[in-house]
Amino acid sequence: MAVLDDLQRAELAAEGMRDRRLGTLANMLKADWRASVDAADTWLNSNAASFNSALPVTARNNLSTGQKALLLVFVITKRYLSGV
Amino acid sequence: MATRFIFTPLSAEFPASNAPALDLVNRRPVLWFDASTDETCYFTGIAPQGLTGTITVVITCLMASATSGAVGIQAQLEAITDGDATDLDATTSFDSVNNSSSTTVPGTAGYIDQISITMSNADSLAAGDLFRLSINRDANGSAITDSATGDLGILAVEFRDSA
Repeated sequence: MAVLDDLQRAELAAEGMRDRRLGTLANMLKADWRASVDAADTWLNSNAASFNSALPVTARNNLSTGQKALLLVFVITKRYLSGV
Repeated sequence: MATRFIFTPLSAEFPASNAPALDLVNRRPVLWFDASTDETCYFTGIAPQGLTGTITVVITCLMASATSGAVGIQAQLEAITDGDATDLDATTSFDSVNNSSSTTVPGTAGYIDQISITMSNADSLAAGDLFRLSINRDANGSAITDSATGDLGILAVEFRDSA
């Protein structure tokens, strides 16, 4: 799977800035925020195979790509976004 | 300078698309302008008797999340005089855009800033004219550097002349 294209990354950056849960973006310019989106997407693209191989074999072989993505969202949400 | 009008978010009018969000911030009415898409709203009035000289628009605003960077705001005037051949059903006739300077945001989100725009292009506005003032954030930076993240909130718009 490739990284998101430029328009998708721009849309994601815009949607993110509309989300009030972010709170204050201290010392961040729009260009910094967009670079962060790009970096996160690139990192996910580079490490998707690693995440997949970390799953137990039953899950790896039976969950769809979408289900694995949601699994990652659930874990990230529980770890870092509780109460946000 | 004389203050001729003060517009609040509750008197804003909205286009069919790309309008700012009318909201409350700590119970204060606010218009939130997106950081990526240029959004526009309008304010309507009748130009008061005695209006004279150059018009200046002063926008009182705050940032939702940004503590650094700059914003740019654009304003346009549309003046309709009694007897003008302007069909309001189908026509808008705004004069050319007027730009604010690229203005550094306050270092604390929620603090206000007041941004002035000199209305060099005022559509020959004269006393008694029906007018609309168009306000938009130049979020895409097409004319003014707008680097600050997150929404810009407009709390009030003051309309001054040279009297």
